Order: sequence, then C-alpha cells, then structure tokens
Amino acid sequence: MSDVLLPRAHTDPAILAAQSGPLTSALVETAAIPWTIWMLFGGIVMALVGGSWDFAWHMSIGRDTFWTPAHILVQLGGILVGIASGYTILSTTSAEVSPTRDYSVRVLGLYGPAGALLAFWGWVAMIFSAPFDNWWHNAYGLDVKLFTPPHNLLSLGWFATQIGVMIWIAAMINRSTGVLRARLTWLLLIIGSICVCLVAVLSLEGTQTLLLHTAFCYLTAALCFPAVLIAAGRGSLRRWGCTTVAAMYTAIGLAAEWLLPLFPARPKLGPVYQKVTHLIPLQFPLLLLVPAFVADLLLQRLERRSSWVKAVFVGPAFVLGFLAVQWPFANFLMTPASRNWIFGRAYFPYFDTAFVLYDPYRFRAPEKPAVFMLTMLAALVVAIVTTRLGVAWGDWMRRVRR
Amino acid sequence: MRDWWKILLVCLATVPAYAHVGSPDVYYEGDAGPYHLFVTVRLPQVIPGVAEFQVRSASSDVQAIRVVVLRLTGPGSNLPSVPDEAQRSKVDPQFFVSNLWFMEYGALQVRIEAEGSKGKAQLSIPVASFGRESLPMVRGLRGLLGFFFFVLGLGIIPIIGATVRHSNVPPGEVPQASDERRARLAMCFAALLLASFLYMNKSLWDDEAAIYERSVKLLKPPRAETTLVAGNRLVIRPAAQLIMPIAGMRRLSRKISMNEMIADHGHLMHLFLIGMPGMERMWHLHPEREAGGAFSQRLPAMPAGKYAVFADLVDKTGFPWTLVGNIDLPPIVGVGVAGDDSEWQGERLAIPASENTVAPLSGGAHMIWERGGGPLKANMPASFRFRVEEKDGSPVHNLEPYMGMAAHAEVVGSDLSVFAHIHPVGSVSMAALDLAQAGLTTQSPAAVSGMEMGMTHSSGGLPPDVRFPYGFPQPGTYRIFVQVKRSGRIETAVFNARVH
Repeated sequence: MSDVLLPRAHTDPAILAAQSGPLTSALVETAAIPWTIWMLFGGIVMALVGGSWDFAWHMSIGRDTFWTPAHILVQLGGILVGIASGYTILSTTSAEVSPTRDYSVRVLGLYGPAGALLAFWGWVAMIFSAPFDNWWHNAYGLDVKLFTPPHNLLSLGWFATQIGVMIWIAAMINRSTGVLRARLTWLLLIIGSICVCLVAVLSLEGTQTLLLHTAFCYLTAALCFPAVLIAAGRGSLRRWGCTTVAAMYTAIGLAAEWLLPLFPARPKLGPVYQKVTHLIPLQFPLLLLVPAFVADLLLQRLERRSSWVKAVFVGPAFVLGFLAVQWPFANFLMTPASRNWIFGRAYFPYFDTAFVLYDPYRFRAPEKPAVFMLTMLAALVVAIVTTRLGVAWGDWMRRVRR
Repeated sequence: MRDWWKILLVCLATVPAYAHVGSPDVYYEGDAGPYHLFVTVRLPQVIPGVAEFQVRSASSDVQAIRVVVLRLTGPGSNLPSVPDEAQRSKVDPQFFVSNLWFMEYGALQVRIEAEGSKGKAQLSIPVASFGRESLPMVRGLRGLLGFFFFVLGLGIIPIIGATVRHSNVPPGEVPQASDERRARLAMCFAALLLASFLYMNKSLWDDEAAIYERSVKLLKPPRAETTLVAGNRLVIRPAAQLIMPIAGMRRLSRKISMNEMIADHGHLMHLFLIGMPGMERMWHLHPEREAGGAFSQRLPAMPAGKYAVFADLVDKTGFPWTLVGNIDLPPIVGVGVAGDDSEWQGERLAIPASENTVAPLSGGAHMIWERGGGPLKANMPASFRFRVEEKDGSPVHNLEPYMGMAAHAEVVGSDLSVFAHIHPVGSVSMAALDLAQAGLTTQSPAAVSGMEMGMTHSSGGLPPDVRFPYGFPQPGTYRIFVQVKRSGRIETAVFNARVH
C-alpha cells in the first residue's frame, strides 16, 4: 500500500515543500489550537494516565469491580475523544457551506477530517469492547491475560483513536504556520510517544525482563516499535523526531515507575503471594532511546535515498542498536543493584508467584543456538518491513491535508 | 451461529475433604470465638468469578463481619488481602452478605472475622474452588454485539478508503482517478487486515474456550476404575490421572498422585457402594492404599447387583476428589463389616418417593427428622435436625463419636447427580477444617472449645440431637443416610425427601 501512496518519496514536491511551510495557503489559519484538539489531547492523556493507573491497580489491588477510579479515568478520556471527534463530524456534516468542509473527507454521507472519522471509529470500538469484555469475564472468568478478543478490540480501538488524532493533527500542521505549527508539532510528538507506550504495553509478553536475553524479545521489538516510532518522528518533520518520541516514551515510563509507588495500596483480591503496600508499576522502560537515535541519524544520512533503501539500513540498525544496549542492561536488571525505586526490580504484583514458582532474577532459558540465530534473522527482516511502513506512514503524514 | 460469533472477534492446589458431586456450595456451622455463625458460600459458575458469602449470626451482638480469601496451605495462605466488609441486612440485622472474587482453582479458605460486643474473633472455612461451566451469550447481547461488529467492520473500510482518496487532495478540488485507484487498493488491504484480525481473534477465542473447557472437565468428578479380584477384593483407582489445572493456563497444571492423599476421619478413602436403582443397600467402607496407588477393600458379604460407586479422597493440598463409577457385582461371600465400616439394607426408593421423618434403628429405637411441615426447597440453607430416641420415645444416652463426629450423613440424588458426604459442621471435612483453623494466628479459648463441641471429639455420651447444615443443590428426590454410633455399633437411618 505504501508503495502506491509514495512511489518516490524523496522527490515528492509536497514533502519537499513541507520542509519549509504549509502545503496550502487557501486555508484560513487560526492562531490558537482548536478546543476539539485540546479535548482530544486531554482525552488521550487521561487514557494514558488512567491506563497506567489501571495496570498498577490490577497488579496491586486487583480488579474488584469495573468501576475502579482508573477504569473511570480511562472511560472519561474515551468520552472526551468521542465528544471531540463526534462533534467535529456532526458539525461538519450539518454545515453545508463551511471552511471545514473544504478539508474534510466524506464517508457514507458524513463529513469530517479523516483523523476525526478514524478516531471516532476507534472510540466506538473501545466503548463496544466493554460489554464484550464483561461477557467474557462471565463466560470464562476474570482473565488476567492481556490478549483476549475483547482486550484486542479495545487495543485496536485505542490504537485507531491515537492514529486518528495523529492524522488529524498532522493535517492541521500541514495547513498551518508559525507558532501554531510548532505547537501542533509538539502535540503530534506527544501523541506519538503515547502511541509507543501503548505498543510497549502490548509487547510486554515478549519484552518482559525475564525474556530480554531471548531472540523472541528482539523479534517482538522489531515487529512493534519501528513503524509507530519512525512514523511519529518522521511525521513531525523534526530532525530528531524519533529520538524525541523515544525520549518522551522513556520519560512517561520513568514517571510511572517513580510516581505510582508513592501511592499506598493493598490487595483486595486473594490469594496474595507478595506483600504489597503501594501501587506496583510496570517494568522499567525499554531502552528505545538508543535505536531511535540511530534511526534518526541514518534517516538524515539517507534522506535523498528511496524509502526501501532507508528501510534496509534503518530497520536492522534499529534492532542491533536496541540489542547492543538492552542486552547488557538486562544483566544489570538481574543484579541486587537494580532492586530499588529507580529500576523497580523489587516490585512484584500481589498475584505474582515469584520466589514460589520461579526465580525473578534469572533469565528465561534462551532459544537453542540455531533457533536463536534464525529468530534474530527474522527480527532483522521484520524490522526492514516495519521500518518501511513507518517511513511511508510518516511521509504520508507530512502531506495529509484533510 | 456460535462459530460465526467467534469469527467476530497460579495456582497451587490445597486441603479440604468433602464430596462435591453436584453440590458445590459450602455450608458450615461453627463458632468464631463467642459468636455462633452459620455460613453459606455460593461458588461462582466460572473461576475467576465472584462468590457470595452469607453469614448468619446466632446472636444479635455481632456488629460486623469481614471476609478474606486465601489459599488453604502453602504460599498464598498467610498474606491476607484487605478484608471485605460484609453488608448487614437492614431487615435482619443478624444476616450479613459479602461478595468476593475467587481467582484460582484448588483448595482455598475463607477467613471470617466477627466483631461484636465480646470483641473480635475469627474462623476459617475450607472451600474447593473450581469452574463448572462457561455461560452462553444471551440473545440480546448477541444481537447487540452483532450489530456493533457489523457497523465496526463495515465502517472502517470506507473510512480508510475516504482517507486515502481525499486526504491529499487540495481543498476545493476533487479526487483524481489515481486517488480512486489508491483508495480501492487501500480498502482491499484494509479488508484483508480486518479479516486477518478477525481470524486471529477467532482462533484465540477457540483457544481460550478450549483451555477453559479443559479445566472444567478436569475438575468434574473423575471416573473410578473398579475391579473385583479373587472374588471379594475390590480394587479402585482413578480411571485417568488426576490433574489440578491452573486458571487460564494451557500447559501449567499439577498432577495429583494417589500417594499424596491424606487421611480424613482417620481414613485415606471413604468408599460408598449404593445398590441401584433403588438405593436399597448402602455400604460405607474404607479401602487401604496399595503399592502403586490403587486402593483395595475386602468386601463384606453382599448380594449380587448393580452398585453406584462414590469414593472420597483428599489430596495433600486439601482439595477433595470424589471418584464416581458403577460396578456389577456377583454375590460376594465375605464376613460382616467391622471397625468403622458400616452397612444398611432396607426398602427401595420409589419414584415418586414417599417422604418419611421417622426411620427405624436397632432394638426398637428410631431417628426422627425434625424438619417441620413445610416443603424442602432447593438452594435453601438450613440446619437439618435429627433426634435419636429409644423405643419408648425417650432420648438415647448411648451415642458415641463415629470417626470423630457426632454423625455422618450422605445425601444422594435419586439420579445420582448429587452426592454429598456431610457432617454436623457442614459440608467441609475435619481434615480441611483443621488445616484452615491452624492458619489462624489468634483464636480465643472459646472458639477452640466451640470447635471441639461441634466435632465431638469427646469420648463421653453425646446428646441425642444432631444437626447438619446443608442445602439441596437442585430440586428432585433424595435419599439421606444418617449414620450414628450407638453402644459401639454403627447404625444408619434412611430418609426420603422431595425437594422443590
């Protein structure tokens, strides 16, 4: 798909024009960011905070009811996204003559920015996942798994919402100048980093600390991170866009790691295997900063080369850069020096059978050498594909106008 | 239809010893220090799921009831969660209700703290936790989800098409033919991705359903393999390996060995052979474990016929297993029952059954079921009272503990879908209860003495009245075998009951 959309990204006049200014001057520019964008941004930030809190709630207190404060915060965030995107679609559709119509797309008689339509669809999917999830719990019990059909639908909706908002903001960036453009670019970078946070959570089954010395971990990373990280970084038109997105992801992860344990909490569900006195955060963030920096560096060097050339160099470099720092850092995470508030390696969820069924400070056995090498090779190939996707997506966001 | 829907989108086991064939709820009567409590635990259909706890205090001075769930033994048994404060009924201030999650399979315990005018006191009740079924999707929800799936599935494709078609078109201009081509290609790609997403989730759904069904199947009463050797020696073993699954896990599970069974009432196995189809005969035997894990029993003299087999076992973690089966026996030439073994032979259970409240014992004595005049109702917790009288109606004074208890009772459904071996403390076993109580760090002397009264370890004459806290799990016809020991002789009184 990306080939069709971007046959020659390096010579696309729209991209080249975007480097220096907006794609069109026909639009009436406003000095301020519209309230709908702030509402979307607020909704996504609330969902991020609520989501992090919710994970900590599950690990520290237990999901004793659907109506936990964390769940409510996520729902409120979703409602904000729904209101903002829904209002934009309805107001654009109802106003037959409106400047907003000019930069809208039409779907089944509805008008609105493409991002708004996608965000609204994501919101509907998220809302719809709730009764489905509730039924799932009734049918198969309260799951403690990340990947169930209703959870997958929720993730898909959440992901679609974030991508929609990114597209929406990207279109506004491409129609704006000056301070507004700079502010919108920052919003895009923040939303991109939140998107990376979501992907990091979804990748946990492959990137948890015990798996950091397996090739599967790096295959997971190759599959999950390059596309969204490079798209957001490249779409921002910033020289160090990927690095900025990765730095923000790291900052969000560290904030959760360091702030959540400040709040007291005790399990409400049992049996309890670990003594818990405060909220338990997710693991220390992955060291994506280094591969993101490598990606930026190479993308700058390869700016005039084709997208596939970029992907062939950047993808493997991303995986190898990640491997070079995460592997030795994983060794450190197994030492007593990491069992403190900074690295959080002494935190265990109440239901964790660490020290009972397994040793939390010993890596899961790596694959056999042949399997390891094949999986790493697969990781390199996958990274080329996901990087190509990220480059295409990022370049497309540089041109999107509606 | 269900398949179409699917397209659209740790535990350590533990220690109680009570049968759970068709009777999963737990009924218990005992003392938390100075407070006498009647507790009902209604297990959820699915695990993890929410169980309901009903606590009735015999006295009005209990102000608060708090409940926590722990494992019965081992890891998870010594770190309580925040206790759930039970809701006190506004209509009946001696009645409390709490709802708590059961997150794991296996032997758990419910620790109840009662607080009242005499201070705080605790008791602990063993509970066997296992999922029984998965609930089907109701029609209304199915329709709602179907509608949303349809809208979502068909909505995303045109959104992607329109995005690709229009997003790069300058304001005021119309898409070109090349834009249309890209849009069509993008929609095809989106449809492919959507189909892949749905297919993957269908597989995941099938997988999860299979894991859950496996757990339900593994924790159904296992089949007993019975063999008659040398004319009168019955050998019994599980027909398949006993396995304790772990909720949500396909590969992780624990194999249960016959060598890890623990004694309940001094016996590793309690075997019940019930003559069928009329339940006109019943033997309560105690096979010994042989090398290799099988259990064997030299049978007493028995007439030929078909017999239903129920064999109660408790593994070392405290989870009760009841092996079920049937056997066609030839006439058995043997000696009479001895020790703790017992037998009963009498009238067939007729359908419809004629209920009785008086059952004969030896020497003209009899047992009276003081059940009142009202009909018995399913799922209604009650304390079933029985009184043993001499021929002249005077209370007997020669009751003795039978395997440590004032009495034993076996509740058997006429279709054998229910089998419960209960005691005056309820549907929990002494072995499990001992483990649960051992976990309590503080217990008042009053509580200990209360326990002993309920379990009647005393060697002196017992009161002529015995009570069994229990609730029939479903409507139907039941036969209740109540067993007491009188002057060294084990006697069985049999009652028929119709439950509505």
